[in-house]
Amino acid sequence: MIFQMLAPIRCLALVVIMLTVTVEARAQSTAEAIAEVSPKVVKIFGAGGRKNLYGYGSGFLVSAEGHIVTVWSHILDGDTVTVVLHDGQRYEGRVLGAEPTLDLAVLKIDAEGLPHFDVTKPSPTVGPGARVLAFSNVFKVATGDEPVSVIHGVIAAQTTLSARRGVFDAPYSGPVYVVDAVTNNSGAAGGVLTTRSGQLLGMLGKELKNNTTHTWLNYVVPMSQLQTAITEIQTGKFAPRKTDDQEDMSPGAPRRYAPRDFGLVMLPDVVTRTPAYVDRVITGSPAAEAGVMTDDLILFVGEHLVSSARALRDELGQLEAGDRVKIVVRRGDQLITFEFTVPRKTME
Amino acid sequence: MKSLAAILGWLAFVPLLQAAPDARLEALEEQAFKEAAAVVAPSVVRIETVGGLDQITPGLAAGGTTTGLIVTKDGFVVSSAFHFAAKPTSILVTLADSRRFAARLIATDRQRMITLLKIDATGLPVPRVAPRDGFKVGQWTLALGRTFDTDSPSVSLGIVSAVNRVWGKAVQTDAKISPLNYGGPLVDVQGRVMGILAPLSPQSNGETAGVEWYDSGIGFAVPLGDTLAVLDRLKAGQDLLPGVFGVTFQERDSAGATPVLDRVRFASPAEKAGLKKGDRIVAADGRVVRFVAELRSILGRKYAGDEVAMTAKRGEQKLDVKLTLVDKIPPFEPAYLGILPQRRGEGAVARIVLPEGPAAQAGLKAKDTITAWNDEPVTSSAQLIERVSRQRPGESAAVTVQRDGQNEKLTVKLSGYPETVPDQVAADIASTDAPVPDAPKTGRITETLEGHDRQYWAYIPESYRKGQPAALMIFLHPGADSMEAAVLRAWKPECERRGIILVAPLCDKPAGWMPNDLEFVQDVVAKVREEYAVADSRIFVHSVGSAAPFATIYAFRNRAIVRGVALTGAVLRGQLPENDPDERLQFHLSGSLTDKQATAIKATADMVRKARYPLVYTTFSQVGEGYPPDATVEELARWADSLDRI
Repeated sequence: MIFQMLAPIRCLALVVIMLTVTVEARAQSTAEAIAEVSPKVVKIFGAGGRKNLYGYGSGFLVSAEGHIVTVWSHILDGDTVTVVLHDGQRYEGRVLGAEPTLDLAVLKIDAEGLPHFDVTKPSPTVGPGARVLAFSNVFKVATGDEPVSVIHGVIAAQTTLSARRGVFDAPYSGPVYVVDAVTNNSGAAGGVLTTRSGQLLGMLGKELKNNTTHTWLNYVVPMSQLQTAITEIQTGKFAPRKTDDQEDMSPGAPRRYAPRDFGLVMLPDVVTRTPAYVDRVITGSPAAEAGVMTDDLILFVGEHLVSSARALRDELGQLEAGDRVKIVVRRGDQLITFEFTVPRKTME
Repeated sequence: MKSLAAILGWLAFVPLLQAAPDARLEALEEQAFKEAAAVVAPSVVRIETVGGLDQITPGLAAGGTTTGLIVTKDGFVVSSAFHFAAKPTSILVTLADSRRFAARLIATDRQRMITLLKIDATGLPVPRVAPRDGFKVGQWTLALGRTFDTDSPSVSLGIVSAVNRVWGKAVQTDAKISPLNYGGPLVDVQGRVMGILAPLSPQSNGETAGVEWYDSGIGFAVPLGDTLAVLDRLKAGQDLLPGVFGVTFQERDSAGATPVLDRVRFASPAEKAGLKKGDRIVAADGRVVRFVAELRSILGRKYAGDEVAMTAKRGEQKLDVKLTLVDKIPPFEPAYLGILPQRRGEGAVARIVLPEGPAAQAGLKAKDTITAWNDEPVTSSAQLIERVSRQRPGESAAVTVQRDGQNEKLTVKLSGYPETVPDQVAADIASTDAPVPDAPKTGRITETLEGHDRQYWAYIPESYRKGQPAALMIFLHPGADSMEAAVLRAWKPECERRGIILVAPLCDKPAGWMPNDLEFVQDVVAKVREEYAVADSRIFVHSVGSAAPFATIYAFRNRAIVRGVALTGAVLRGQLPENDPDERLQFHLSGSLTDKQATAIKATADMVRKARYPLVYTTFSQVGEGYPPDATVEELARWADSLDRI
């Protein structure tokens, strides 16, 4: 009985899903998508080839006249590079422009009527679980007129790559797709990630290791991050971005403030991961007024986890006078949030 | 005609269908993945830790972030034990809705490497559980993690590669499993949780075992149903440990090894259940067992404290036993009565009652004959040893002795072996015996061993008599220095006084003894035992300095005959095999206080003590290198002459 009653509902659900699908994706299978995308991806050969530096990479065509987007790397160190198209045609390519903060370079070859991606169109956004295809000349497996290698997988996550505290030694920081497939290997950087129906999602990044877990991260820079710079370089209007608004958490980051400036005396930092325990709170200080107490364990400054006393000094050091700062402490099994304004520091 | 039209109609339709259903199927599947992930996502939490060790193992830093899964509405969260190996100071849980809670570590399942945490929250979303018996190889799986700073969990897609892995503990998947999603759920395409992702290894235990396989296409999840089944035990704060029953098997490691018991460890569940060497396990927990691997797989799902029914076959006889698994078999520690038995003649007669020992305190006297032990008859010293060895230090025994024709009952409270050599060990030499005409060679001799073409020297005391088996000292010299003169000078008087045969195989390599010299030493000992009457209870190996590891290996390889190990200036590393009541073995360690390695020598003594072997550890001060002073040799000889103490 129950089953019979449910049956119509299930049918309805199926119809809804199918409708969604029709709207969402073009009726193109993976096989068709690969046939369409492959010719737009090129093999690049350049400097390197000695020691541990490989001399090959990947790129993709963004105009019929031979504009090629690739990753900014040592391969481009020479005056020119060799570009091999899907049909085996070889061209000499030169660097038209580069944006190191995006790890992006645009090359030009002299050709006409080439298949290419339209980077002026907005690129779709996909979430975890979405099926994707990665195209690149990984390990230079493709030679001559062979098409580049295709790897399938799903989007594992959308996240923000940051080189904070040396977790990643990434050349690029900003939003990325993380792919659930081993897409980022030697020579893959500069290749493309597309949806399973062939829509361009982003450019494959370099090989990157998470310094904390020692695991490799397969990341892709979304087109939305690259589109403006590509178009500007293509049209010759490009001016490199100012770097002063970048996230600056490099080892040489400023330490304008110390815990003591807020009235916090921390437990001595004896091992590399000494937790940030409050040893004493100076009477009348911002921390004392906010209610921080001895033995509180400071866990967050703003949204950033403070994993050690050292990390606390890094976080506090970044603050500017007048900032509102929120800290979260653990007292027993309670998490308590305090907010206060960063005091103006008297110059010494 | 009608059918032809139908066929034509089909043909016309085929090209149209070819592309479209492919794409639609792919889209439907993709939709299903996303929905499955979305259904479980609210139960997937981010776990951050502060403090703790820097590195879990060399090269593997302790990360700050991992994933967990809510399992009860009121705040119980499970995760992989991997992350907590670094023993963090503080644990924080962030829910899918960004609320943050301080968490407490409640307990760890050390069999499956799952840790239970608790946060003070209510009304939490609990995921549906996929029943383990529905798992099928080849079905889609999604591995979810929440280590990235994102709203939705990270997704890795794969299939079930195997359903019963790592001794039945886990389901295997080819989704990418790594520190990024350890502790997160493995989800089926219906959005039900199959298991908790964790590094595991069939070869080893521990938090980090199996991490080397991260992202390799070999990943494991512990079925959530298994964890929920023991959730109440974990909630009570009880760590769950792997269970053992205390046996070794005659065949090892091969895939088809049959479960025939080799050794049944003293005081183990197997021994208590009455299992014996040679028994073959044919069923466990209601399932037929043909191979060791099958038995391991059944036990892999059990914990210490769990009861297991087993059926064993002893010849044609079938035995049904019930045993309770334990986490650790206590090391065997021999009990000490404190007598030296009479070496010749019938019955268990006390030759010497050692002062201050349990026997002396109970009022036992020299020449008493022990006739019963806990009301079981005793007819020989060997039987007495067997009875005593079945008891532990601290336990009492009712002993019946015959004294001057009268029976007397005493209660003895056994102790452990004292760490000193008994002061009064009178030599047991009947020197009045007349010389025997067919006596073999005595005194200092040098021989070449046939078959090996290698030399050994020996000293046979002039007091040697065939009817009076002698003790045997196997001396192993260090490296290039045979120490022959020094050892002979020091030992000659003791050999004469106490009836000890000294045999010293010679090492032919300046670098010292190698494992392939074992056979040579074994053959030398066999030859001496063939030519002379040697007391089985007083054979010991003695080494100086760097020969200690070889001497120890020799002793453990020949436990059936070697009863004592006397090492001077020995540095041993690693772990000694556990003590065994059936093969008595005592240690004497001595070292110079001025030895550069005095600390390491002391550590070696601690290692022997930890393995619960009877041990005497003495130091001497001596200037210069060379053989220990005479006082130490005298003590060592006394120790050797009391190796048969009970």
